[in-house]
Formats: sequence, C-alpha cells, structure tokens
Amino acid sequence: MLQYLLKRVLIFIPTLLVISLLAFGLSKVAPGDPVELKLRGFGPDQQNLSNAERIYRETADFLGLNKPAFYLGLSPAAYPDTLYNILRRDHRENLSKLIAQYGNWEPISAYYHQLLRMNYTLQEVSSQQESNTFRGIRSALQQLFLTHSDIRISSLLDEAETLAAQDSNLQASLQQPLRELSSSYEAVKEKARPELLYLPDIKWYGLDNQYHNWLAGFLKLDFGISYYDSRPVADKMKDALFWTVLINGMAILLAYLLSIPLGVFSAIWKGSFFDRASTITLFILYSLPSFWIGTMLLVFFTTPEYGMDWFPSIGLGNLPREAPFWSRFRETASHLGLPVFCLAYGALAFISRQMRGGMLNVIRQDYIRTAWAKGLSSRAVIWKHAFRNSLFPIITLFANIFPAVFAGSVAIEVIFNIPGMGKLTIDAITQRDWPVVYTVLMLSAILTMAGILIADLLYAWADPRVSYSRNKR
Amino acid sequence: MLIGVKKEKDTAEGIARRQAMGESYWAIVRRQFRKNRLAVWSLRLLYLLLFIALTADFIANERPLYCRIDGETYFPVFKQYAVGLGLSTWEAQFFQKGWREHDYEKVVWAPIPYSATTIDRKNNNYRAPGDKQNIQSWRFRHWLGTDQLGRDVGAGMIAGTRIAMLVGVVSMSIAAIIGIFFGALAGYFGDDRFQASLIGLILNTAGLLASIFYAFTARAYAFSEGTFSIELLKSIGITVAIMSLVNLLARALRRIPPLGKPITLPLDIMVMRLIEVISSVPALLLVLSILAVIERPSILYVMAIIGLIRWTGIARFIRAELLRIRSLEYIEAAQALGFSEWRIIFRHAIPNALTPVLITIAFGVASAILLEAFLSFLSVGVPPEQVTWGSLLRLARSQVSAWWLAIFPGFAIFLTVTIFNLLGEGLTDALDPRLRG
Repeated sequence: MLQYLLKRVLIFIPTLLVISLLAFGLSKVAPGDPVELKLRGFGPDQQNLSNAERIYRETADFLGLNKPAFYLGLSPAAYPDTLYNILRRDHRENLSKLIAQYGNWEPISAYYHQLLRMNYTLQEVSSQQESNTFRGIRSALQQLFLTHSDIRISSLLDEAETLAAQDSNLQASLQQPLRELSSSYEAVKEKARPELLYLPDIKWYGLDNQYHNWLAGFLKLDFGISYYDSRPVADKMKDALFWTVLINGMAILLAYLLSIPLGVFSAIWKGSFFDRASTITLFILYSLPSFWIGTMLLVFFTTPEYGMDWFPSIGLGNLPREAPFWSRFRETASHLGLPVFCLAYGALAFISRQMRGGMLNVIRQDYIRTAWAKGLSSRAVIWKHAFRNSLFPIITLFANIFPAVFAGSVAIEVIFNIPGMGKLTIDAITQRDWPVVYTVLMLSAILTMAGILIADLLYAWADPRVSYSRNKR
Repeated sequence: MLIGVKKEKDTAEGIARRQAMGESYWAIVRRQFRKNRLAVWSLRLLYLLLFIALTADFIANERPLYCRIDGETYFPVFKQYAVGLGLSTWEAQFFQKGWREHDYEKVVWAPIPYSATTIDRKNNNYRAPGDKQNIQSWRFRHWLGTDQLGRDVGAGMIAGTRIAMLVGVVSMSIAAIIGIFFGALAGYFGDDRFQASLIGLILNTAGLLASIFYAFTARAYAFSEGTFSIELLKSIGITVAIMSLVNLLARALRRIPPLGKPITLPLDIMVMRLIEVISSVPALLLVLSILAVIERPSILYVMAIIGLIRWTGIARFIRAELLRIRSLEYIEAAQALGFSEWRIIFRHAIPNALTPVLITIAFGVASAILLEAFLSFLSVGVPPEQVTWGSLLRLARSQVSAWWLAIFPGFAIFLTVTIFNLLGEGLTDALDPRLRG
C-alpha cells in the first residue's frame, strides 16, 4: 500500500513539471509588458529620461525579469545570447525583428545604442526649447524604437533630418547625431548576414533564470508578487480561498444531504411516479447552465423591477468591521443565499443521478436477492446491504468534484461579485497578472491529482476487493 | 486507474442472436434508439437547429432576399456570398445608402429583416418585445426586443445558433481526430507492441528538433509579418518535408545491423501521461489561460483550443476499446496476412471501436457549446462585435430590466445543451447490449 502511494506521488512530479513549463511558457508568449503593468501611474517621473529608465530597471529587477527566461534556448545563430539584457519588451521584440531581417547583431546593436544616445541628446535639447519641429523629431525617434520595416525606418530618418534642417537652432545640435544614426542604420543593411538565420544554435543560460527562480520559490511556498497590485500572491489567495471554500463547502454539503436520499429512493422505487418525476427534474437541473440561472436570479430576485426583490444585490454587503458579529453574519448569509443555491443545484442533480445509477446496479445483484430471501427487513436490506455498496460512484465523484467546483465557482463568483478564487483567477487572466495565474494553475493541478488519488484510496477502503498492492493488471 | 475491479461488460449475446436472425448491427441500434422518445425528439430538434445554422443568412438579414430597383433585379443575400469570396463587388448605390433607404419597386425581406450587427437607431436603448416600437410596419418589428445599441435580439439569436453549432462541430471534430489518433496508438500498440529501429528513433528526434527550428523558430518573423494561416501551412509543409526525408533516410540505414536494433516504445504510458497532464488542470482554467495569450481574439481560436483540450475523453474510450480488440482473432488474422500495422489500425481496428465514441462526442458537443457560451458571457476570447448567445446573456447583467436578454439566449443555450445530453443518453442506451430486449 505504502509502495503504491509512493509510486503515485512520484508520478505527480513529471506531470507537475510539464504543467509548470506550460504555465511559464504561456506567460512568456502572452502579449503585454509586466513592468509597464506594474508601473501604471508613475506618470510625472517618466518625463525625466534617466529617472524613468532607472525606475524601469529597478522594477524589472524587483520582479526578477532581468534574468534569462529559461535554462537554454534554441534560436538562429544570428541572435546574441545577451538579448534578455534589453529589458524593455517592445524594444527587445523590435530588435529581434531587425535581426530576423539582417542577421547581424553587432551593427544592429550599434544602431540601437545610437538611438538611445539620440534620445538623451534630445532630452538635453528639450530643456532649452520645445517647438513643433522638435516634437516632430522626438515622435519620429520614439517610433524608430518600435519600427522594423526598411521603408518605414528610412522615411522616419528622412523626416527627422528634414525637420532638423528647418530649425537652425536644432540643426546645430542634432544634425551630427542624426547623420550618425542614419549611417549606423546603413551599416546594418550593408553588413547583412542572412545565412546566420538558418544556423541553429543552442544557448545555455545557466541556473539563474526566471523559470528556475520561480519554481524554486514555488517549492518554498513563496508564490511571488502580483504584477497588478504588488501584494504577495499567497495573501491574495488566502483571502479568496476563504470565500470559495465557504460557499462551495455549503453548496456541496447541501447537495450531498439532499441527493443521497433522493438517489436511493428513486432507485428503490424505480419506475414509480416519484422516480420519473425526480429523474426528469434532475436531468433538467443538470442541463441548466449555472451562469444562466445565476443571471436570471440576479435579474428577477435582486431588483425591484419585477416586484420580487427578495434578496440583497450582488457583493457581500458592506457593513463595517466594527459592526456586531451577528449582524455582519446575517448580512453576509443573506448575500450568500443565491450563490450557494446556484452552486448546489447542479451538484445535486449530478450526485443524485450517480447515486441512483449506483444503487440500481447494486439492487440487481444476487446478494441483495439473498438478503430479501433471508427475510431481512427492507430497512436492513436497503441501508445495510445495498447502500454501502452503492457508494462507489459517489466516491469516484470526489475526483471530478474539484474541476467542477472550480468551473462553477468562476461563473457564480463573477455573476454575484464574490471575491473568491474564481473571480481572482478571471481577473488575473484578464489583467495578465501571471504570478497569480500560474500559481492557480499549479495549485489546481495538485488539487485535482490529489483528489484522484484520495478517491482511489477511498475506493480501496470502501471495497475490500480492490487492492493496490502486488500483482496489478 | 483502478486495478482489481473489472467493469462488468456483458458479452454481446443479444447482438449475436439478432445478427443471426439477419438484422444488421446498425438496424438494431437504430431500433433501440427509436424506443427512446426523448432522444428521437432531440434528434429532430437538432436537425432544426442545424437547418437554422446553415440558413442563418436567409432567416435574419438586413439585405433583401430579392429586390427590384429601377428595373434592375438583385439578389443581395446571394450576392453577399459572392462578395465575401471576392468574386463580385457591390454596386455603388448599395454603398451610398442603407438597405432600408432605397426606393424598391419590389422587395422581399428575410423573415427577420435585420442582421445581428444591424444597429436600429430609432429603437435603441433596450426596447422590450411588447413595447411600442418606432417602425414602419409590423414587418420590421423587433419580435424579441433590442439591446442598448438597437440590435435585434432575434437576429442575434439566429447568428448565435450558427456560432454554437459551428463551435460544437468544429471543436469536436478536432478533438475526435486527435483523440482517435492518440487513443488508437495507445490502445493498439500498448506498452509492448511498438517497435522502432534505433536509427529511426535517433533520426526522428533529430528531425523533430530540426523541424521545430526551421518551421517555427527561424520563421517567427514571417509569422509576425504574413497572414497567420498561410504561414502556418508553409510551416506544416516544411515539417512534413523534413520528417519524410528523415524517415526515408532511416529506412535506408535500418539495414546496417547495429543501427537497426529494435527498441520497444511504451506508447500507452506516454499517451496516458499526456492525458493526465491535460486533464489535471480544469478545462476552463486551461482554456482561459491559453486565450490570454492571443492578441486578436477570434471565435476560431476558441474552437481550436477547445478541440485541443477536450480530446482526452475520446482517446480514453478508443484506447479501452482497442486494448480489447487488439487481441481478437480477426486482428491476428490480419496480422498473419501481413497487412501493415497502420492498415490494421485504420481499416480493421478503429471502425469497430467508433460506436462508443459517438456517445462521448455527443456529450462533448454539449460541453463545448456550454464552454463557448460561458467564454462569451465573460467576453473572453470572443471579439466584442461578435453576437453569440453568451454575449447576449452578458448584456442582461448590465441592464437587469431587460428580461428578454436574460431569458431567450439562456434558454437557447439550455435547449441545445439538453438536446446533446439527451442524444448522448439515448445513444448510451441504444448501444448498451444489456438493455436490449
């Protein structure tokens, strides 16, 4: 048994590694610059170029984004292995597009540095004057950082030079750097080495990379810091988990309490009116999408519009923390009524269908006939002999319950605006707050696999015929 | 994975008896299916939904089906297809004026004379079905009301039907192809039957790396500049070319003794691990996080991603069936006849394993439609201007007094999901030999 358990847990490891790679890979492919996301609202400081650059660099360091992404990388030989040192994602992507056209890193790097220097030169000039032509030059320069097509770059360079030629003050200070910029771009085109683009090259970055650091942190239960509001991910999850566990716990408890007798009795009285009515009702309940029912309840029962304003509106109520415990409790409870109902009815339908199926399977068996023949009371036959054996499908449900609970939670929490895990996940995904997203992905995988394992163990416990030790298969 | 308990499965005695009586397997299944009245009605409703989905452009369209202007006859709805394919262009007058503003000599409008995206400015701001509407005649009435912009909800429902059916069919086709392929690999070869030569393995691994490099890494720039689908086709072409080259080489080199050493690959374990990885993350979460990567949302991506994730159930079914079938006598006979493994798998083994997969597909379509509706309800992965059942339902949340936005699309989702669930149940019963009388 112990051996079996150990083996199962060991199998988790490669699966989790693959999921961690997937989650990390997604976060790297996804559009958007996390540093920009975190820096929202640093407006005034961005005016000063060196200041802005310093803030950007510090934030990238803080988020660990100044390191290579992975242990190794496969790319054409034309790409340098130090490209990750260029922190700004938009710049980096533009540069790699330039490399993809010309295949020569040295001149492109020189051109990029020329652009950066030009940016500083403009900054110095701007303290003296700010004219329309100057603004034109500056905007052309900003666009050059993000432009990779030859025609566009040439026209922007031309535009900057013509603008500079119009203004005698500017001409003195800018003509020389602009000319250098143009010649460095010409050098890029002249020294093109496209053959390097078809030469594969594996680059080794070592252990100090983003993926490694994140995984090491995850194993130490340090889930990182949210890009969005800089709170530790663990803290955010703790708050959210409370609500999710609360509403789902209540819903599942309610569902189990109702569905087990329902399933058992409709199996015993198979074909009766009760059985048919409950089967149809439960089938309809099972097919009703919870986000529709949630919306309908919200529309009809929380607004005075239709004269059925029986429940408070979305959210959790907003009594202050100092309010007496009981009134806070009542307020929250009244807000949780509808969400719990929404979560419960689907589970109820699902569980009692399984229960009925399991029970039907069992009462066909010979040993039940034997029990009846022995003259046992119907209570003893049903609850002692049949019920216990029909619990298997309910136990295997354990494995499915987590993904189902998660999906249900997302819908209900979004609709009723409950700050639980589902809403946290959706918000994190739409805000591209990747530390939260991959922590949720990993934890949900762990929970799902643990659920399956626990279900298997419970199965062995409930049915002595199931044995995991020795001769398998 | 449970060891020890074997799922009891009746030998197909009933089938054998009936087949002896001269009735084909499918005739039995069909008769068995017809006994289930709910399933039969679901099938009829499904035909109706498919009909609506196919003819959606003729049911709800702002363009007239037929019209006559200044003695000239037009069929704008048909022409729309030609224009869409780039075979034709609209006449100038149709650019200059809206479809309502022409002086028609004769005109036949579609049953719902609005497209899903037509904005009726005179009837905007949530006009209820029963309200007084600012329209020329009853013919232009918004029978199911309008939304805030003045888009007709009925037309949106028709467009939504098409999207829902498309999502169900496309995503489950993708899932079925992947699932049948992997399930057949795992089930037929198991852990012991797949043998490759040493050189074949080495060259294939190298070829795979090379094709990833030349088809994708080195072409990243081409992908970002060109049309995605064309570049993808080119990349697939490169991959196929490299892999076939490598395999030809491997076939030639296999004759040299040390290189041709046979190695057994445990395909079953490999496929089952892959399935475990995919099914250990809740599907919704996986779909959402993959959709976050896509910059320009499109319903096509949603379908593809659902298909790429929801194949595991199908693969499991096929695997289980093939594990049983592979030791049957007729497969051994085929092997003895010297047929190639692939021929045996695709011509002899898979056709006999497909029936139970129909059940999984029916339930899979239901869950795919539900998932897509939920995604558009959250407005994730679906472009904002796309009208679907889910996006209509979303509007109900911002305007709770618009009951028609909550009831109609939600009911359509419910009905479609129920239809597929009932079909799945009906198929399960019809295919279950124990329930045959």
